[in-house]
Amino acid sequence: MTEEIRVDNIPAEEEQLSFLQKIHKGLCKFTSWLGFGSKYYKSSKHRKKIFLDVVTYVILILVAIVMIYPFWWMIAASLANNMQNMLSTFVWPKTTATVLRGGNLFYHYSNIVALAQSQQLDYWRSVGVSLLYSLAPVIVGLITSTMAAFAFAKLNFKGKNVVFFYCLAAIMVPGPSIMIAQYCIYDALSWTGNGLAMIIPGMFGAVLTAFFIRQYLYGLPTSIIEAAKIDGAGYWRIFWTFIIPLAMPAIAAQFILSFIGCWNNYLGPLLFVSSRDWYPLALVVAAMDTSYGADVNNAPAVMAMAVLALIPVLVLFAAFQKTIIGSIMLTGSKE
Amino acid sequence: MEEQVLAAEQTAAEQAVAVDPPKKRRVNRAVLAENLWGWFFVIFLVIGTTVFIYLSLVLSIWMSFTDYSADGRTLWDALGDIHSDGFLHWYKYMFSPQYNAAGDVTGTGISHDFWTTLVNSVFYMIGIPIGMALSLFFAVLISRDIKGSGAFRVIYYIPTVSSTVSIAIMWTNLFGANGLWETWFGKGLVSGTGSTVWSQKVAVVIMTTWKGLGGSILLLCAGLNGVNESHKEAASIDGANAWTTFWRISMPQLWPTIFYCIVTSVIGGMQIFAEPQLIYGYYPGTGAVSASVDVTPFVGLIYGHYYTNHNFALCSALGFILMIIILLLTLVQFAIDSRRDA
Repeated sequence: MTEEIRVDNIPAEEEQLSFLQKIHKGLCKFTSWLGFGSKYYKSSKHRKKIFLDVVTYVILILVAIVMIYPFWWMIAASLANNMQNMLSTFVWPKTTATVLRGGNLFYHYSNIVALAQSQQLDYWRSVGVSLLYSLAPVIVGLITSTMAAFAFAKLNFKGKNVVFFYCLAAIMVPGPSIMIAQYCIYDALSWTGNGLAMIIPGMFGAVLTAFFIRQYLYGLPTSIIEAAKIDGAGYWRIFWTFIIPLAMPAIAAQFILSFIGCWNNYLGPLLFVSSRDWYPLALVVAAMDTSYGADVNNAPAVMAMAVLALIPVLVLFAAFQKTIIGSIMLTGSKE
Repeated sequence: MEEQVLAAEQTAAEQAVAVDPPKKRRVNRAVLAENLWGWFFVIFLVIGTTVFIYLSLVLSIWMSFTDYSADGRTLWDALGDIHSDGFLHWYKYMFSPQYNAAGDVTGTGISHDFWTTLVNSVFYMIGIPIGMALSLFFAVLISRDIKGSGAFRVIYYIPTVSSTVSIAIMWTNLFGANGLWETWFGKGLVSGTGSTVWSQKVAVVIMTTWKGLGGSILLLCAGLNGVNESHKEAASIDGANAWTTFWRISMPQLWPTIFYCIVTSVIGGMQIFAEPQLIYGYYPGTGAVSASVDVTPFVGLIYGHYYTNHNFALCSALGFILMIIILLLTLVQFAIDSRRDA
């Protein structure tokens, strides 16, 4: 049988269509205008792309607002005069802190130090302690991590693979499982009263950091090291003059991520710091949250503290967002 | 012939060995230096790992067999006193309810707390599948050929880098009594009118999902970038539409990334502590900061017994049980994943 065109299959005439089919046809006209072709109407690919782009932008911008708005709310709420107006803030508080003594919009920000003082907490000291907890262990720990990464990536020594898996297996131990034993160790060493518990352990390096830098170094050519060796450079010199500069992008990314992690750390200092003198900023803000300095109208000041605790991290993130995003994306593509 | 020659050679070799004085093993100075320096470079990491992780783990298991608490004993004295209950200690924590003075089961003993908080931790993880689906959707949208996708990636990552303490304060006020949420919807989540245990838990889930979205979006974007373009092109030439291409081409190549995200977020999800603790306080606790056991996660129970009762033995046992649970969950996921391939 030869093929024949079935004419009766083509819905040509308006009158032959049922009511539902008419609605369908109308919808098809609409969708074809948006770029989706159908059996009734053809449509352009260009228009489809524009339509989908618009939908994409609308969704992404809505989600971006959901992600950003709470931060705006925090800033606006911290400028309110009392708790009631703080809570009802939507875009801007009904009454701002300008009505308070001094007519200063940032009244609650200027009140923070005194408020912390009323709870026997020293705000500026806690900022310094936070910096100490985030800088000292991270910088020293990065050097030791890079040393280990260098050895794992470029040196041949007996037992390398065993040591590598010995270290790598440690990441399977969840922190909360051993935190009590860690506390007992630090307590026995009397590190809990003076903040050493937050500084010294980090100085020995972190396994994941070492692993990340090792992956980075592994891809670099070994010939540089060979050439340096032939020229008479020792391993220590190779490490300082070649490996550290070469691995700088990976080290920088890990530095920022570790710094942010240490600055935001809450469970660690909560357990391992027993003296109020050595509270980091996170603990001071959390302590203020439950007490409000005995007056609920200090709530905007607590909010102001929360905003100030966010700022260093957000500034770092804004400055190094390319490095941070890049290194996270790198982790994703490696898996 | 050949055998004879071989045998002759062998005897010659044996004689040579027997006759010659044992050769001094030549130590290659370069190899020795590399070995020494290699060990020097790794030694700090090895010491750190050994002391602060493995030693702590061993100590933690050991302590769980004692009855060590802050009772004036030093750690070393306490470690010597293995409790007579021995292994039953763990069993007791998990399965035996507490008795009151009259010897009746009160129903609110340590095993009740144990199971309630464990279920809470698992409940807080319902944010993981929701978050994965949302982040997959948004990652696909961001990976479309549009301008400004980098800006969206940065914006979505902001909550992830923010301090949990600050976020928790903001959350308490947004979703608490007289907060915006209650004003608009007439129902407070964290506190206020109509707030229940379930709405309190949901508030935590929303928070963790919101905070964790950026990270998984970034990882999935990286995964989507890695999908082989020529495979997609071949599929479209064969007449596959976008939907089919996504599920049949992109999805299988994206699966390792998704699996990685799920495994790491389940491991992290079982360890949830800071968010509920900051919003609701700790359990078991005293005074105004005492939370209900119904919203406390498992790690919160460990912390509560550490902070309020200083019962280090109990905390160690709970911690070890948590590690086993996390290990089992991870193994189950890997088993399911390997089954999928078969």
